[in-house]
Amino acid sequence: MSKVIGQRVTRYDGMSHVTGETKFVDDQVVPGTLTVKALRSPVSKGKIKNLDISAAAKMPGVAGIITAADVPCNAFGLVPDQPVLVSEDIRYRGEAIAAVAAVDEDAAMEALEKIGLDIQEQQAVLDPLESMKEGAPQVRPEGNLQMWDGHDYRQVNLGDVDQAFEQADEIVESTHLHPSVEHAPMEPICSLAVPHAGPKLTVYTVSQALYFHLGMLCGILQMEPGSVQCKQWKAKTGSAWRHNTGYADVNYIGGTVGGGFGGKNDIMADHVAALLALKTGRPCKWRWTRAEDLLYSTFRGAWHITIKDAVTKQGRIIGRQMTSIRDAGAYASLNPYVVEKHCYLGAGPYFIPNVRVRGYCVYTNKPPASSMRGFGITPAAFATEVQLDKIADRLGMDPWEVRLTNAFRKGEYTPTKRVLNSVAMIEVLQNLAAKAGVELPGHLKAMASTQERG
Amino acid sequence: MHTLELTVNGQTCRVEVGLKTTLLEVLRDKLYITSPKVGCNTGDCGTCSVLLDGVLVRSCITNALSVQGKSVTTLEGITEPGDIHPLQKAFHEHYGSQCGFCTPGMILASKALLDVNPSPTRDEVKQALSGNLCRCTGYVKIIDSVLAAADEMKS
Amino acid sequence: MAEGEFYRAASPREAAGLLAQHGGAARVLAGGTDLMVAVNKRKFKPQVLIYLGDAGMSGISQEGDALLIGAATPLNEILASPLVADKAPLLATAIKQMASPAIRNAGTIGGNLANASPAADTATPLLVLGASLKLVGAKGEREVPLAEFFTGPGQSVLAADEIIAQVKVPAQSAEAKWAYRKVGKRKAQSLSVVSVAVYCPLSGGKVSGVAIALGAVAPTPLLATEAAGLLNGKALDEATIAAAAKAAAEATSPIDDARGTAWYRKRASEAVVKQLLTELAG
Repeated sequence: MSKVIGQRVTRYDGMSHVTGETKFVDDQVVPGTLTVKALRSPVSKGKIKNLDISAAAKMPGVAGIITAADVPCNAFGLVPDQPVLVSEDIRYRGEAIAAVAAVDEDAAMEALEKIGLDIQEQQAVLDPLESMKEGAPQVRPEGNLQMWDGHDYRQVNLGDVDQAFEQADEIVESTHLHPSVEHAPMEPICSLAVPHAGPKLTVYTVSQALYFHLGMLCGILQMEPGSVQCKQWKAKTGSAWRHNTGYADVNYIGGTVGGGFGGKNDIMADHVAALLALKTGRPCKWRWTRAEDLLYSTFRGAWHITIKDAVTKQGRIIGRQMTSIRDAGAYASLNPYVVEKHCYLGAGPYFIPNVRVRGYCVYTNKPPASSMRGFGITPAAFATEVQLDKIADRLGMDPWEVRLTNAFRKGEYTPTKRVLNSVAMIEVLQNLAAKAGVELPGHLKAMASTQERG
Repeated sequence: MHTLELTVNGQTCRVEVGLKTTLLEVLRDKLYITSPKVGCNTGDCGTCSVLLDGVLVRSCITNALSVQGKSVTTLEGITEPGDIHPLQKAFHEHYGSQCGFCTPGMILASKALLDVNPSPTRDEVKQALSGNLCRCTGYVKIIDSVLAAADEMKS
Repeated sequence: MAEGEFYRAASPREAAGLLAQHGGAARVLAGGTDLMVAVNKRKFKPQVLIYLGDAGMSGISQEGDALLIGAATPLNEILASPLVADKAPLLATAIKQMASPAIRNAGTIGGNLANASPAADTATPLLVLGASLKLVGAKGEREVPLAEFFTGPGQSVLAADEIIAQVKVPAQSAEAKWAYRKVGKRKAQSLSVVSVAVYCPLSGGKVSGVAIALGAVAPTPLLATEAAGLLNGKALDEATIAAAAKAAAEATSPIDDARGTAWYRKRASEAVVKQLLTELAG
């Protein structure tokens, strides 16, 4: 008998949840902790002409203020293209420009009001379709489209799509708009950084990707401001997080996450809390308000997806051309990876022998989008399933039959030629129909994943 | 500052508060009772729920000075050493808690219901928890937990 | 840091006196469900707070053919009252759909009205029932029909030194028909996009003294008097209902906001009035 399979297993942390003993980041009590608040950009795009913190620094209760000049390596992320604090070019409304650590929230908020900020506002581009056009306002110096191996898109090719369209009985085309979605975990973004002699740091984090972010954080903290090595190393590796030194200097404590859903896969507060803790020598906590969390934390970016399928009279999809445009917001975050995964799985759980999926990752002057449950697969599934219903409509077929006819069978392969030896899509659909009270006709009931496609 | 005297989980407390101090700030920042969470600070999410003289309220929008002389119960207050409340047991055993952030508020909202209605219908549980948001469970397991606790408390 | 002053008023008159004494710096506090949200959002920094929880302004009683509800009575207490269930079920029905249990445990009927939101959910049932308010000022008190209370979004006839002390609700007639519907983004914890209350006394199969009120579709909660006028003395047939619903929608002047567009609100007003009247006719 298995100790686990078939048994009810309670959560290892369940008892501390129900007694209230679980300590989330915001529940850590460290005496003398300062409250952090950020000055955020009021415009979507602009240039900082003047930033004056002198009056704010003299406000009662203010222990420290940081700006871009205080960030040792002010570029992080997968690519890395994102500054911790804006030095000159503002790329989205709400982007952090400066951060204050003060004895309480009132003192921090009053200090923010004393920061002198002069911005030259510029024309922003908010629509990804506009951003792709020639002559669109530039979002990033690297360009408005993410590059992959010299291409401004990611593409997955399988078989001969053009020939499939020539052989098709029907061509079914549809366009799908998927809006952006906020994860809205119950626990807002929060970070607590506690300095020790050394200087060393303990950082309590809401991160869902602890080791990933530890590397990033060390990269941000370690380098000398504007150092040659920082630039050279970035140019060489294209990455700010593989930097391997300094891990011993940061005690990164996480694992207790008040809901994430992919919304805590990017560093959003730890860097600022850590920098302020190092600057002031005191514990610093940055807890975002619910409004900040909804407006400026990462989210599932919007998609514009067009699918064109080559279909036979029998309902077989023999070819698919899919073009997907991802609204990434102002920075890479995990967007390029999300687009790649979207492309790999653009055909859904169906065997389509000829596939061309092209994914564009387009930058706009909005907060950076990132991962959310499925990393780009969910919108692909949404578009695919709507498309299958349209195919059924066009052919006058039962939508169950269209799905069962195209579902993966043992030994078939995905658009990236991954051969599938253990598949159960047909059985899943049959079970689903039974549970939904749908009586499938005999020939569909008789289908099995192990049968070879006739 | 003003002096506020109140009873929290059976213990009389005296704290200094300002005019805009909330009950949540008193509990978390002055008494270090951290089961009520800061979720929205606008009374919308329910993570800060506590019982005030036995009645469910939002501590984040309860002015601290308005609770002078009153009795506050947090999740810590219904947990006896070695003897948890049937609701806590049910939330643990029936997977009513996932990330745990909404759990303290959920259990207190459930207690407020069972204290006045020991045999609620599923719909009455939904109504009672309608002000407590959860993003993990989809609520089904939470409602199951409350109904299981109600059954256990009756037997 | 300024300390601020906090008073516990022992009576409505004392509260009004404190308001007069402190001028514009003072605000009254009851449940705090609106005030403290503004404080937390840093939209408002209190300097003087006058707490009404100990001012003897809570409770429900009957006087002749009317209910007297203390302005500081929490909404859930009104919802739980057998007296209200019996004499003003329309009000209880509306309150049941407001906010969430925890908010209703703190939020008061007086606060809901004094805040003068166009979307105040107690306003529509109280308007159709012909409720009036007892306003207590530093120098005296007066009674104001609710229909004359609201003057704009967040604005009312309440003077700087006045508070709402009591709500007087004429009892519903046992024969009268009534209906209430709230349209929101979701069922719980949702501000109204459109709300409609209909009170329909009957006399010999014909309606007389009918009243229709709409919320969240005009600068103030709205009594649709013209629409009601089309119904009085008539049988509730399809054509009459359609005309009244149209007139009710025409009386609205909604705005676009995060919850809904003016276009939607106008059409929803007509549809909901039609629905409710059709239900009452059936």
